[in-house]
Amino acid sequence: MNGNQCIYFCVCVCVSAIQGCGCTLLLWLSLGSLGYPLDCKDDQGSITRCTSISQDKLLDRVIQHAELIYRVSEESCTLFEDMFVPFALHSQRNRGGNMCMTKSFAIPGSKSELQQISDKWLLHSVLMLIQSWIEPMIYLQTTLERYDDAPDALLNKTKWVSDKLLSLEQGVAVLIRKMLDEGVFTSAEFTASLERYDVQLDMPDSVLRDYTLLTCFKKDAHKMETFLKLLKCRQTDKFGCFLF
Amino acid sequence: MMSRDSGASLILSLLISAVLDSDGLSPPGKPRLTSCRSPEKETFTCWWEPGSDGGLPTNYSLFYRKENSDTVYECPDYHTAGRNSCFFSKNDTSIWVNYNITVVATNALGSNFSDPVDVDVVYIVQPHTPENLTVVLEDEDNPFLVVRWEPPRMADTRSGWITLIYQLRVKLEKEEEWEEHFAGQQKQFNIFSLHSGEVYMVQVRCKPDHGFWSEWSATTYVKVPDYISRERSIWILIAVFSTFIFFVFIWTMHINRNSVKHFLLPPVPGPKIKGFDTQLLKSGKSEAVFSALVIQGYPPTSYYDDLLVEYLEVYDNKEQVLMLDRKDLQESLFKSKSSSDTDSGRGSCDSHTLLMEKCVEPKEDQTMMPQVKDSEASRDLVMKNDSNTPESTNVKTKTWPTICSSYHYDQNPCYHSIPEMPRQCHISSNHFASTHQQDYWESPADIYHKKPPSGYRYAQAYSEFNIKGIALKEATFPASKSLEYVEVQHVNQENTLILKPIGQEGPDLFHAACTGHDYSRVNRVVSDNVFLLQRDTSGQCHSDCQEREAPVRSCTQQQPGKPADHLQVPRVQETHLAPNGYVDTATMLSY
Repeated sequence: MNGNQCIYFCVCVCVSAIQGCGCTLLLWLSLGSLGYPLDCKDDQGSITRCTSISQDKLLDRVIQHAELIYRVSEESCTLFEDMFVPFALHSQRNRGGNMCMTKSFAIPGSKSELQQISDKWLLHSVLMLIQSWIEPMIYLQTTLERYDDAPDALLNKTKWVSDKLLSLEQGVAVLIRKMLDEGVFTSAEFTASLERYDVQLDMPDSVLRDYTLLTCFKKDAHKMETFLKLLKCRQTDKFGCFLF
Repeated sequence: MMSRDSGASLILSLLISAVLDSDGLSPPGKPRLTSCRSPEKETFTCWWEPGSDGGLPTNYSLFYRKENSDTVYECPDYHTAGRNSCFFSKNDTSIWVNYNITVVATNALGSNFSDPVDVDVVYIVQPHTPENLTVVLEDEDNPFLVVRWEPPRMADTRSGWITLIYQLRVKLEKEEEWEEHFAGQQKQFNIFSLHSGEVYMVQVRCKPDHGFWSEWSATTYVKVPDYISRERSIWILIAVFSTFIFFVFIWTMHINRNSVKHFLLPPVPGPKIKGFDTQLLKSGKSEAVFSALVIQGYPPTSYYDDLLVEYLEVYDNKEQVLMLDRKDLQESLFKSKSSSDTDSGRGSCDSHTLLMEKCVEPKEDQTMMPQVKDSEASRDLVMKNDSNTPESTNVKTKTWPTICSSYHYDQNPCYHSIPEMPRQCHISSNHFASTHQQDYWESPADIYHKKPPSGYRYAQAYSEFNIKGIALKEATFPASKSLEYVEVQHVNQENTLILKPIGQEGPDLFHAACTGHDYSRVNRVVSDNVFLLQRDTSGQCHSDCQEREAPVRSCTQQQPGKPADHLQVPRVQETHLAPNGYVDTATMLSY
């Protein structure tokens, strides 16, 4: 019996070692790909560990996400306005017009311009937009909690938006991979740095800055939504989309 | 020189302005941007409101600056959108970009700037009204409206550039209030529950997901034809059915109106004797009525079983009538008496007549007269009844009433007196010592007193009972008398007591009357063994007066006769205690 036990022991050790090696290998491989735990391939893919979703359905879901994010951001902005922003500043939503963060890439400003942009560019723009707002939204959460009488609805909405942004990012990344066959880096690999926003400002400045953040985010959310919808149109009716 | 010129021009301008002011001319007032709107998110228009023009022709111009740029542009098109407006074409429109717009009013005297306004085209979208609104009536039997429309022409909803949501409203032509429905992003809507034969008005409008509502579209009229709605036919059916049920219910209530009346207004219950049925009483079956009242098993019989032997029950026909006040009850009473015949001697107490007659308080100055007779004599007495009642038949089986029951005034004297009988009726017991049975006689004395003697009748009954060794020879008892004192004359050979009433002959009547008053009151005690009695003022007792008040000769009346009777009373020295405790003066005065 001792011999059998010894054999069993050795086998177990070997198997676990192999498994360990396999896991680390997989992990290393996944670094280059999406940090998505479930790796759903296409129909012709070899690994089908989850139910694969069609591209159209995925796009629809992404669009729904974007619509929802926009609606919630609009409500958050309104809540913040009613609560903290004096009426005099309402009309001057973007004083000077330079308050929003300038993007590293040029965003098309009109429909005609957008119609000239390729699908690839649309998707990448969306992804970049999303990624540029993940950090500020986290910051906004922390700074809103510092307010004395911030309504719970506002805090909940900003929290919700942060979470949804992440999921939207993942969806878009999958789309990119599906439609463009490219691999992109998602924010899971980023290390968030909030040092820029740790400066404590006075109350009026803080209010203004937060208000600017909210309004800018609202605008960018609308951009995301529009881009994705345009993309959908192109997928379904490529010819008709360009008529206008 | 130059300063002089500038000074002169300054003065001149001041003068001119003063002159002009006096005419009402001034620089223009401040214009105001009223609104900027974009119908399809690709172009937009801004309108302004001019201020006062100051009396001079004023020129308005619009300048704008884009976000993140300091370049100032002027409005490209002042005419397309009408007066006091600026139209931005597609090329000039950038979305997601803030425009800083200002209007300037200029006239000869000066210019005036409006307040700047920040505009982002995305937020100022107000589409045109939806087009091609069609309303169709479908399904003639249960009609409903199908409303269809199309988005405004200019809005690019197909490419997803704009997402529109719709709203429609409906009202009857004659009504005031609109009924609004939210249709979402669909371009079709159904309206149900139409009023038949009415005209409906329908309107629709739209809004982007961020922006303003459009105007209501043109009204579309539609006429609904006449029809019977399914709801109405169901209601008619229900109404008919419930009417039918209602009538059935009413008819049922009518049939049972008595019980309904009793249910709603219950009759107030009157006093009720348990077991007593008034209806039965009215119908004349009084025997059944009273039999229901009899509580069987009461009084308890076990205790007195060995004491009671037989009772002689005496009751009177007339007396029952008087007592009960009902002639028609005689039969029932007699019948009920017969029912109590067979009891072991408590019949007299159980009987209904006893409730009234027997156990009433009698006069104490009456002793019982034993009325034991032999069979033949009694029968003669018995037949002195008024009426032909079945009483005689009952006679035989009757038992003698208690003799001493009159001494007790309880409710049930019979039973109380029973154990005491031997004690108090010692006379009788002495005489009838040989009998194991005890005789009880009852005094009809009370009866006697209550009724006129002329009408007096009594039913005398005796049982088969024989006093052992005792027989009375003669029925000396006159029918008209209730009781008298009976004197034992002697005992003959057959062990029978020969009794003789104290007042026997004709004057017996008197004596009978008198014997009721034999007791005299003691006036005072004169000497050792003499006491004076009061004169009895009754006329009947004149004879007695002499006899009694021998020592006191206050009584002048003298009558012959009867003293002999009294003197026949054996002389006894000792006081004779009558059973009721009274002193028998007759015996005393003979001394």
